[in-house]
Amino acid sequence: MPKKIRRVLYNSRESFKNFFLGVPKSTRNLYKEIPNQVKSFKEWIFTFRGSLTILCLIGTILVPLITQDDYIITILISFLIFSIFAASWDLLAGYTGQTSFGHSAFFGLAGYTAAFLVKMVGLHWIFSMIIGASVAVLFGLIVGIPCLRLKGPYLALGTQAFSLILFNLFMSGDLKDILGSTEGISGLPVMAEEHIIKFFYILIIMIISFVILTVIVKSNVGTVFKAIRDDELAADASGINTTKYKLLSFMISGFFAGIAGSLYALNMRAVNPSIFLVLYSFYAIIMVALGGIATISGAIVGAFIYCVVLSELFKPLGAMGTIFLYFPTLISAIILVIMIRFAEQGILKPALEHLREFYDFLLGR
Amino acid sequence: MGVILEVKNLTKKFGGLTAVNDFSFEIQRGEFVGLIGPNGAGKTTVFNLISGFEKPNAGSIRFDGMDITGLKPFQIVNLGLVRTFQLVRSFHYMSVLDNVSVACLSPRGKKAAEKVGIDQYASRILSEVGLIDKARFPPVILPHGDLRRLEIGKAAGTNPQILLLDEPFSGLSYEEQEHIHALIRRLSNEGVTIFITGHVLRELMNLVPRVIAMHQGKFITDGPPQEVANHKIVLEAYLGRGGGIA
Repeated sequence: MPKKIRRVLYNSRESFKNFFLGVPKSTRNLYKEIPNQVKSFKEWIFTFRGSLTILCLIGTILVPLITQDDYIITILISFLIFSIFAASWDLLAGYTGQTSFGHSAFFGLAGYTAAFLVKMVGLHWIFSMIIGASVAVLFGLIVGIPCLRLKGPYLALGTQAFSLILFNLFMSGDLKDILGSTEGISGLPVMAEEHIIKFFYILIIMIISFVILTVIVKSNVGTVFKAIRDDELAADASGINTTKYKLLSFMISGFFAGIAGSLYALNMRAVNPSIFLVLYSFYAIIMVALGGIATISGAIVGAFIYCVVLSELFKPLGAMGTIFLYFPTLISAIILVIMIRFAEQGILKPALEHLREFYDFLLGR
Repeated sequence: MGVILEVKNLTKKFGGLTAVNDFSFEIQRGEFVGLIGPNGAGKTTVFNLISGFEKPNAGSIRFDGMDITGLKPFQIVNLGLVRTFQLVRSFHYMSVLDNVSVACLSPRGKKAAEKVGIDQYASRILSEVGLIDKARFPPVILPHGDLRRLEIGKAAGTNPQILLLDEPFSGLSYEEQEHIHALIRRLSNEGVTIFITGHVLRELMNLVPRVIAMHQGKFITDGPPQEVANHKIVLEAYLGRGGGIA
């Protein structure tokens, strides 16, 4: 090959690498951090936070031993799924500062993809889930590129527009054969015969998701995300390609929202256009606000409060009559307002502080 | 040696106002230059134009023999031209150490920090600017003088060839100013070219060997501080026309 062509090829390869792999380079370094992570994990287990997490995990695993009730396990499954969804929103909004009101677009698109693949193509649910999440990543790229020029409330509205577009697209009768219009896709094969097996599948996926999200947030990439959230101009002045990192954040967040959406569809064994409603985006936002923004693990607490505690607490009220049907929603709203007034940071941080005092007291410190 | 920064016929208009008008100057490698002018002379606009935060209407900026007009700020930073802000811009909810680490995580900073590791490199910079004791604190609780030092530390994290300091002394006590003076001198001695603005002449007089003066967006004069301070238009700009003192 002539030298010149070779050089052109080399240069184009280099620029390709720089553009597409520039960021993943730092992500690639993650695998080098694994031994360190393992070491710090061992130390972490014996700290306050670590022992708390392990206790919570053991508690979740013990649930099926205590109760075999399908109802409770179904509620818990929806809690697990929504905690992944809320955490993905937390990465994008809490860590990178890109407030998205259109997170249901990732959720729904992945849900539809997974449902389509499982039912029409007959793929195994794990592969459908991963492909569904990948579609959400691609969609994150497509949304990200035009939306990155928007800031603050405009970004929120811009992302919301995408979820509205998808809602109307999937509602329309034109694609009835594939997407099923208003009825959506239903009658998916079950993930597992036993509810408990399904519970454990989703629990494992949720734990993996949270470990990955936590590692990302604690890594160098997470530091850059936080810098972009705090002051984008200053990050730019520090030599950070903010566009690239914001896009990366959109894609990672889209991936985990996609995982959650796929699981939601697979768990429900049906999906319809209402999955694109802005309501689902607000579920994620409310859960993160309850648990604590920019904490990742706060998403678990928020999802637990919203999906399990609040909905179960007020269920009897709804059963009392149609007048009371909207009481749970009303009371959740009031609780949210009180939270925003008195615990801006969410309840995770203050609760942890009190627990820590108790922990120190128990250990006699 | 040689020219590191060459600005030619730079012009910037905001609507009807010409903030920078046909402004040209050169800076040699390793030089220590001040840019003075009364409030509103266009100093910060010149910095914004050089560092890519604003696009000039006309003129060109060459850095290290390369045309950088129209490049994005982060690209310019990664070539080695770094600026600080007049109003301190720190990452409020991150620790002081992480503030500097972000700069070390830029492609240029990463290359410099490769050997020692990002954290090590960032804490070395922090000890140089004298903030190592406060590495774990968030910047929101730091006093103004420390924030100024952090601002310089953040710029140093990207391993700059030339540092543009926008009013690093404004709002500081005499003691704090002395700290920053020493810090900037040390950077200059390490071979970093420094370009610094100020609207109070006295601050810059005993610091820089060469001063560029501007007024109402125009280049006025260029030379040693004493000479510039006695220049007719400079005196007029600061003290008013036909003043009895001059």
